[in-house]
Amino acid sequence: MDFQGIHDRLVAIGAPGLLGVDLPRKPDPKNKKDKGRAGDAFALVDAHKLADFLEVCRDDDRLKFEQLVDLSATDPAKDAAELWINVQLLSLKFRHRLAIKCLLPKSAPSLPSTVRVYRASQWHERECAEMFGITFVGHPDPRNILLPDDWVGSPMRKDYEFPKEYHGISCE
Amino acid sequence: MTRETQTTPAATTRVQRLGPGEVSVDIRTPDLEVNFGPQHPATHGVMRILMRADGELVTGAQPHLGYLHRCAEKIGENVEWLQYLPYTDRYDYLASMNNNLGYSLAVEALLGVEIPRRATLIRIICAELNRIGSHLVAFGTYGLDIGAFTPFLYTFREREWMMALFEKICGARLTYSYIRIGGLFNDAPPGWFEEVGRFCDVFEQKWQEYVDLLLVNQIYVKRTANIGIISREMALDFGLTGPMVRGSGIDWDLRRDMPYMCYDEIWRSGAFKIPVARGEMGALGDCWDRSWVRVMEMIESIKIVRWCLDNMVEGPVIADIPKTLKVPVGEAYVGIENPRGELGHYVVSDGGKVSIRTRVRGPSFCNLAVLEDILPGSLVGDAIAIIGSTDIVVGETDR
Repeated sequence: MDFQGIHDRLVAIGAPGLLGVDLPRKPDPKNKKDKGRAGDAFALVDAHKLADFLEVCRDDDRLKFEQLVDLSATDPAKDAAELWINVQLLSLKFRHRLAIKCLLPKSAPSLPSTVRVYRASQWHERECAEMFGITFVGHPDPRNILLPDDWVGSPMRKDYEFPKEYHGISCE
Repeated sequence: MTRETQTTPAATTRVQRLGPGEVSVDIRTPDLEVNFGPQHPATHGVMRILMRADGELVTGAQPHLGYLHRCAEKIGENVEWLQYLPYTDRYDYLASMNNNLGYSLAVEALLGVEIPRRATLIRIICAELNRIGSHLVAFGTYGLDIGAFTPFLYTFREREWMMALFEKICGARLTYSYIRIGGLFNDAPPGWFEEVGRFCDVFEQKWQEYVDLLLVNQIYVKRTANIGIISREMALDFGLTGPMVRGSGIDWDLRRDMPYMCYDEIWRSGAFKIPVARGEMGALGDCWDRSWVRVMEMIESIKIVRWCLDNMVEGPVIADIPKTLKVPVGEAYVGIENPRGELGHYVVSDGGKVSIRTRVRGPSFCNLAVLEDILPGSLVGDAIAIIGSTDIVVGETDR
């Protein structure tokens, strides 16, 4: 199925938390400042219902997203109010993908863990948590994965300040 | 380095008399915590696995990553699009051509440029040759891990030729940066395609030697069959890709199922097949199945290379790409079939010279997560064989 077909199906079965779509578009010829947007189409989902949404995507007969390929976050800009959560789902049976985007306020970056739906997200969420300072509520093993346990700050945030020293080692 | 864990009760021994001259002794030893790595040749890099063992039985395993973390994704937000390309070489350093390809395709998805046909064909040749080289290392060092020293030397002999071929085309032996946004760095030197053809001829003969010498060798089969079994459901749940998922009997390959470049054309011409494990030597999804898939994939890659050589066209090898690249506003995810599984790049652009986000979904990272589940219950001696069969490259798990 193409993106439109998947979206229609999601609407038809009343997938929880589906807010809308983010489609690529051509630049507006009348407005010179509008540059359009290239790339993929996204389903916009409420972050707090993400796990329920994924469960529906996995179990529905016509969608059958058996695999969670990727779960990551994006900090679009230093002064942005929200972080993005990006999820890539893949259906081996129907050979289609779905890209999901959730907006998460930087002031309270917390959402329920999706590990109960796909165990693949266990390590992705750990990486996301340490790099962006996001809390995944209910994660079974919320330790740092790539960074040392005592690392301070969220390195992938745009406003991250690089440390001056680490355990007496100068970083400058 | 081992130490006794604090939490387990003291060792107890229970003796039960079964009859005259016959005793059953139930010896319970305290759990040991065994640090496997970070400096251990069988971890293929610097990775540490904290194993808990009750005698010879593994009762828990916890991989600790990050020893090779180099902030590749953060660097992606600080350098220009073209400047990031050499960093892609360094995550899966055994398959650098494929990494270059994955990143280039992701950026090209935003740019919307058309790649010249000759460049596409040479890209496929390079990616498949690199896949062969990567599987040669995986297969050879896997034998080395479990005690078969000789095949390793043979596989590295063929890999040496493959690297010499790449040296001729781009000057580097390991970190190529040859496939770049818009096409290729330069055209192949005179006589290169003929040499690739000769490599294919010789490799087909040598490949049969690996099969005879190691793959169906009884010692190898006994050592790898029926251990580290990954079921179909587990493979899907953990998001395994590449030989890991095909080793569990799932017929899935991005080159056929979600084709990029001109793989669909090659597939339709019937040039190659997708090897899927059938559990010939033991349970489906065991370590032997995974190594079988890798060995069979090498010969399929040779067929793809031959198809490209037969259908080679003349023409330019790079599209018209400016030196200082500005990528249109947008975001795209592109996944390609790397030797280890799906390598995904998610790139976001705001229209400037530098990316907003360069997310790398490394197959090794995702494939490694399954160790936490399949190691407990196996013997300590088998742990090496199971870790080796996941074929990870630590440069990619840590990025």
